Amino acid sequence: MVLTVEELAQTIDHTELKADAKQSKIKQLCEEALSYNFAAVCINAVHVEYAAELLKDSAVKVCSVIGFPLGATLSEVKAAETREVVKRGAHEVDMVINVGALRDENYDLVRSDIEAVVAASSDAHVKVILETGLLIDDQKRKACYLCKEAGADFVKTSTGFGPMGATPYDVRLMREAVGESMGVKAAGGIRTFKEALRLIDAGANRIGTSSGIGIIEDYRWAQYSDSWMQPDKPCWTCPSRMANIAKQPKEVYLWYKQRCLTCPDKDQNVFTD
Amino acid sequence: MSDTSSQQYADAELLYVSLTDGTIRRQPLPDDLYRKYLGGRGLGVKLLYDNLAPGIDALSPDNWLIFAVGPSTATSVPTGGRFVVITKSPATGTVFDAHAGGYLGAQLRRAGLAAVIFTGASKSPVYLWINDDQAEIRDATKVWGKTTDVTTDQLIKETDEKAQVACIGPAGENMINLAAIITDKHRAAGRGGVGAVMGSKKLKALVVRGTKNPGVANPERLREAVERARRLIKKNPVTDKSLPVYGTPVLVSVINEAGMLPTYNFQEGTFNDADGVSGEKLLERFSLKPYNCYGCPIGCGRMSRVQGRDVGGPEFESIWALGPQCGINDLEWIVTANDKCNQLGIDTISVGSTLGCAMELVQKGKLEHSLRFGDTTGILEMIEDIAHAQGLGKELGKGSKVFAESYGVPELAMQVKGLEIPAYDPRGVQGHALGYATSNRGGCHLRSYLIGPEIMGSPVLVDRDITDGKADLVILFQNLSAAMDCMVVCRFTNFAWTVDDYAAMVSANTGLEIDGNELLRIGARIWNLERLFNIREGFGKKDDTLPPRFSTPLREGGSRKRVAHIDVMLPEYYAQRGWDKDGRPTDSLLKSLDIPIER
Repeated sequence: MVLTVEELAQTIDHTELKADAKQSKIKQLCEEALSYNFAAVCINAVHVEYAAELLKDSAVKVCSVIGFPLGATLSEVKAAETREVVKRGAHEVDMVINVGALRDENYDLVRSDIEAVVAASSDAHVKVILETGLLIDDQKRKACYLCKEAGADFVKTSTGFGPMGATPYDVRLMREAVGESMGVKAAGGIRTFKEALRLIDAGANRIGTSSGIGIIEDYRWAQYSDSWMQPDKPCWTCPSRMANIAKQPKEVYLWYKQRCLTCPDKDQNVFTD
Repeated sequence: MSDTSSQQYADAELLYVSLTDGTIRRQPLPDDLYRKYLGGRGLGVKLLYDNLAPGIDALSPDNWLIFAVGPSTATSVPTGGRFVVITKSPATGTVFDAHAGGYLGAQLRRAGLAAVIFTGASKSPVYLWINDDQAEIRDATKVWGKTTDVTTDQLIKETDEKAQVACIGPAGENMINLAAIITDKHRAAGRGGVGAVMGSKKLKALVVRGTKNPGVANPERLREAVERARRLIKKNPVTDKSLPVYGTPVLVSVINEAGMLPTYNFQEGTFNDADGVSGEKLLERFSLKPYNCYGCPIGCGRMSRVQGRDVGGPEFESIWALGPQCGINDLEWIVTANDKCNQLGIDTISVGSTLGCAMELVQKGKLEHSLRFGDTTGILEMIEDIAHAQGLGKELGKGSKVFAESYGVPELAMQVKGLEIPAYDPRGVQGHALGYATSNRGGCHLRSYLIGPEIMGSPVLVDRDITDGKADLVILFQNLSAAMDCMVVCRFTNFAWTVDDYAAMVSANTGLEIDGNELLRIGARIWNLERLFNIREGFGKKDDTLPPRFSTPLREGGSRKRVAHIDVMLPEYYAQRGWDKDGRPTDSLLKSLDIPIER
């Protein structure tokens, strides 16, 4: 094992972002985060004050999402939302980038949008969600550069509500773009320790997941066999495999699918499994 | 909280019952046996290895029939109400253990027992009535010939309304190789013909009422371990959602989607009408309520209502065996046939597989009969004939291996070591295929359930097509399963718990310092002792194989173009087991496992 169970737990943002989450669920989330010593709980703004109270005097951070999940609200609203959650005890904010502006190449707007949140965040860390499933590679790289210029602390792959989850491919790309001075958070569809370790190996230093308990508990299996980490078929973790025309802009979908035609592993793209 | 009045598992007793002369004696659980083999399957296998002469007829009085429980039984450990039956199997000729849920296991432990060991054979039908410290062999003439539901009701009436019954039906009485032992009317120690061994001893039933308080060595440690174990079950999507909502039939759609749902006697891996026999359809059409065995927070069992009757089941394997395996898509009929099997005391997996085998013989012109794939006509009557060893049913009751061999087409029997392969086509899952081939009791899916990692992604998804590393995982799960079968707990906990959780609970149960590695070592000890038993019976490398059909690719579906690569994985498996190239445990391995070397 590369990481101990405790070290893996320290990378996890224990997440509950569903609309139907009741206060009892948030209480449970916080108790679990304390018990497992997770890095943070990642929640919607309405629960921040309650979670901050439950987690006070602990090392577990409170992380609130901002402009979630579309990122399509006004910068002023994102900034105001940030100010309010920080005031209520949030140590970290995960904002969604202005995806439409990025695709319009309106980079000044994208940058100023992030800057507005950074300015409102006081000492809180700012993570910027790119929603990689809506972007092609050049757009992802550009987004990373803009986040860095705007003073954000992390780039983050996905909301978990978009067309695609975190992939090692995207994490590697983002890590290369931002270098070592920023954090990279992988989030969306991460359910097993194998997926988490693959993403960490690709450059992620934070894992956002609602399956944190399962990931940590199942990681105890790793001490009894090395075979869990046998290489997978390359297509399994490739974003092109996950592309979905119903959820993505047509040109983005086609961009992903056209990569398959020139992929060196295309011979393995045979079975549906 | 310490409970000094309760009885520790180490102080439980073995109840020896000679059915030949009617003598009954209690004996303390030998300390060495308990420390090395814990209980349940391990205890039974060790007793059989030490006491059965090689080559005995499994249906002769020389065979032993052991009902055992373990250190977790009737304690707060979730699912700790099961029992295991250990004997030499008439179907396979191997050492064999068959497990059942329900409530009888807890009663045995509450009666102060670790195991009941039946030896010899009675001349007339009997049952054993255990009422705490009292044990009595009683006449069973009145229930001989009766179905399991009638027998259960009658014997509870004769004994105690809170007693639990494990009994055989006509299939066991007629000593057919497909005979099961049924408890609580629909929970089966189903496989290997254990019911036939019971029938050979003229033992109709075991009836138990226990009222003692089972103690544990370290109640506080157990409370912590169980609290955690329950929490993990609640957090796991399989044990908290899929199984409680749909029961095991949830797998019909999953396995069919993977192209591994054996159809027409494994000629195909996709059943076109799978939706009609799925867990979702069962829930919509027939499910009455879930059924929880003793101490089980999961509740994978089903109670169904069909034609105005409330019946147990069906489970996934039963739906498959009586459905897609025979090309049958009538779920109402499957529910009815499953109930028929329970009443007659027949293993649904083996009977369905053997019927499918017969249908293929008809299809290929090897047998003239009205049996046809997809046609339910006459099958209920045929199941009756199997149980009563009549007509063609007598031949089918010997199981698919003997049946297909007798018609000169042994390759049409989908079995390993004489036991019919269950509901997962091995061509689509390399690790699971290796598990079938190397199973000590023949074609069994529960020895190393690699469907978890290879299909369901539990605990992580591993590539089902690769062979590298599969021997390692198969051995891990074989050893863990053996250890779980000693505790004795349900296989489904495995979705939520890791090795360490089992170790924590059994340590608290017993007071023995057992960590995860030591628990797996106990499992390995049992696995190797079973291997030695089977080698003594003439089994070897030649038997660690699959039917030739699985070397031919499936033509369609999610597992098309695949074959099982046993030849690639077996040498690695032997090497990792510490066996020689012929599959024999080496002396150094046996010494390291503290198994006496006999030559």
